[in-house]
Amino acid sequence: MSTGAASVASFNGLFSIPALADETKRHGKKCILLWLCGAPSQFETWDPKPGTSTGGPFGAISTMLPGIQISQLMPKCATIMDRLAVIRNMKTAPKEHFQAIDALTRGNKPRPPFVRPVLGSVLVEQLGHLDRAIPQFVLLDPCPEGNEFRRFKAGNWAGWLGAEYGPVRAGGEYSIPDIERPEYLSEADYSDREALRLFLSRKFENEQRSEAAASYNAAFERVKGLMSCAPLFDLHNLPEDDRRRYGPGAFAQHALLARNLIENGSTFVMVANGMPWDNHVFQHEMHQMLVPELDNVLFQLIEDLRLRGMLDDTLVIAMGEFGRTPWLNQARGRDHYPKAWSMAMAGAGIKGGSVHGATDELGVDVDDSHVDNRQLFATIFSALGIAPHEEYDLPGLPTFQRVEQDASPVRDLLL
Amino acid sequence: MPTTSLKRIAKFRLPSGILGASITEDGLWLVAACMNGVYAVDVADKSALKIGEHRSYASSAAILPTLQTVVTAGYDGTLQWFRKTDHSFIRQTQVHDFWSWDLAVSPDESMIASVTGQYLAGDYKYAPAPEREPSVRIVAADTGEVLHSLTHVPSVQAVAFSPDSQYVAAGNLMGEVRIWNTTSGRQVGSFVTDGFTSWGIVKSHCYLGGIFALRFAANSQHLLLAGMGPMRDPMAGNGRQRWEKWAWNENMPHKLDETHKDESGEGLMETLDIHPDNQRFVMGGRLRGGAWNAAVFDLESGNRLATLKTGFRITEAMFNGDGSRLILAGLKGQPSKKRGGQFPDFGRIEVYDVT
Repeated sequence: MSTGAASVASFNGLFSIPALADETKRHGKKCILLWLCGAPSQFETWDPKPGTSTGGPFGAISTMLPGIQISQLMPKCATIMDRLAVIRNMKTAPKEHFQAIDALTRGNKPRPPFVRPVLGSVLVEQLGHLDRAIPQFVLLDPCPEGNEFRRFKAGNWAGWLGAEYGPVRAGGEYSIPDIERPEYLSEADYSDREALRLFLSRKFENEQRSEAAASYNAAFERVKGLMSCAPLFDLHNLPEDDRRRYGPGAFAQHALLARNLIENGSTFVMVANGMPWDNHVFQHEMHQMLVPELDNVLFQLIEDLRLRGMLDDTLVIAMGEFGRTPWLNQARGRDHYPKAWSMAMAGAGIKGGSVHGATDELGVDVDDSHVDNRQLFATIFSALGIAPHEEYDLPGLPTFQRVEQDASPVRDLLL
Repeated sequence: MPTTSLKRIAKFRLPSGILGASITEDGLWLVAACMNGVYAVDVADKSALKIGEHRSYASSAAILPTLQTVVTAGYDGTLQWFRKTDHSFIRQTQVHDFWSWDLAVSPDESMIASVTGQYLAGDYKYAPAPEREPSVRIVAADTGEVLHSLTHVPSVQAVAFSPDSQYVAAGNLMGEVRIWNTTSGRQVGSFVTDGFTSWGIVKSHCYLGGIFALRFAANSQHLLLAGMGPMRDPMAGNGRQRWEKWAWNENMPHKLDETHKDESGEGLMETLDIHPDNQRFVMGGRLRGGAWNAAVFDLESGNRLATLKTGFRITEAMFNGDGSRLILAGLKGQPSKKRGGQFPDFGRIEVYDVT
């Protein structure tokens, strides 16, 4: 046996140890979630029904995958379908935004009084590097409101994992204030003050067993990180050509910012823009603008990550909290529809060129292989090398698994 | 001030939602642009015959009485001509890459105007990007030859000719109205109203609304506009039912009147028609909140004269030639369940006596 062959043999041997293989698989994995809050129409994105009564006014176009069509509003994604995995038979339960946002960001329905962490918090806990200055979980959302999403944003994101796994929120009107050291304060004075603050608060935290103080300290640590990497959050520091390619809208600009943050060490970036997809009225007037923007953002993001050699390690997810009704209401809109909807992923651990499942002729119902939120989360975790059914170590709490009820990942979407 | 009384004398259904319509002078025949095609409708007989299709929704329709021709526009960007007598297809012309939102025929029947425009993000706050194709096309009514290609800011959602056929006006998402001379194609006026456009604060940052209908008054110097008043959340669709009257052909175009306080509810208004007596006009649309979704107003004073609550979204309100009839066309929500193996009809037509 040659030396080379021996090396290969021993290398393969390493991967036969499950824990080591998992650790290697998850090493360096990251995620960008394009959170299409409000819920886009599957008919105007991934599952068009041209020429049918429910198809709406937009047509369908062929993609590079034989026999697969998507909305005519997505010509750029049609050219990179070999990198995308589309699920066309999502079927979930919650019909209202808040409950659906909860289920599709946390992976399961609530079990009060316990708060399940959102996807970003879990990924940061599993994959992140809290010792880095750059925030590991960033929410970019320039819209300060967002109806039910606003209420959700005000809630507890990290749940039982704790505040250090929650997001830093930035973007637009949420550009981060007060993270520059005042000029009157020298570097040395700042360090002295910070050391004193840390000593006193740690002492208090330890002696009083104060979770509030711990949370306060976690926040300070993050602010220190933010101070050192503030330029990464400034849209104006991004290359002009990149900004032009991604498009002028706030969502597109923040998707580019997400790429930049991931490239510089963040683990999970969630890009939202309020709740623009909730088109009970003006469905087609809004989707004619939102879908082309999404089409371009997905194309640019996936191609950028690929060209930078980052796509194999970075999972890109584009989804909302449910779909829209096949039938149009009187107000020229589509209403909430969790029974049959679509979403897309690309990158780390996901098999490109996959279209999983189908809906019926009018898009009313899904086929037997339908996917729910738990299966989706099992798929996402598996793709990133995270054990989906692992139990949380939660002193004083009931037993929780990362994904409950043994929900299986969608195997045909995984590499 | 004229008084107005409206009495419903007929109602019937079409298989699909009606997005635009046009009636003959006697009010007995109409052509309906529907979500699933084009229908010739015998109003007296309450019967309809599908005579054609666009590749997407048919969005608007017009009858050219002298030419005995019907013209329809669609979300496929085409205009289609049919013979009124036997419904046979004459020609199709691709006038836009994107939708035709609306069409109008000049009163002298020489020109057809069609407007287009896709709303795409133009800046960080989602102001519309500049047009990618001419937003207004004027074509010859008898041949389809393009006479003028005119520029505007997308999306351009409503168009109308002046009674003397000298002017054409088009209104857009951002509340901007541009007026051109139809002979030269030269822009002769413009103004902007902030009465119809909303920038979303609550759900999202973007623009929605705009001008959905416009009509010249008999003097060709005044323009009526219709749509929905501003909202913090445009996607709630709960802006005030709204019309405005503008003197456009002056050095400083200015608003003459608007929906009077306490005379409107909530909902998008998307059709206008001026009564043949030139003293009244009708505005119709969807009822979101309030007591009516079609109302007749005094053109001079702006006072509301009569109201209707139809229970369906009105997309076209039309007086017949002598003003004795008001015909309303529109749609209910698309049915979600089949009955007897098919989806129930959801297009609506109602006919009213006007006194």
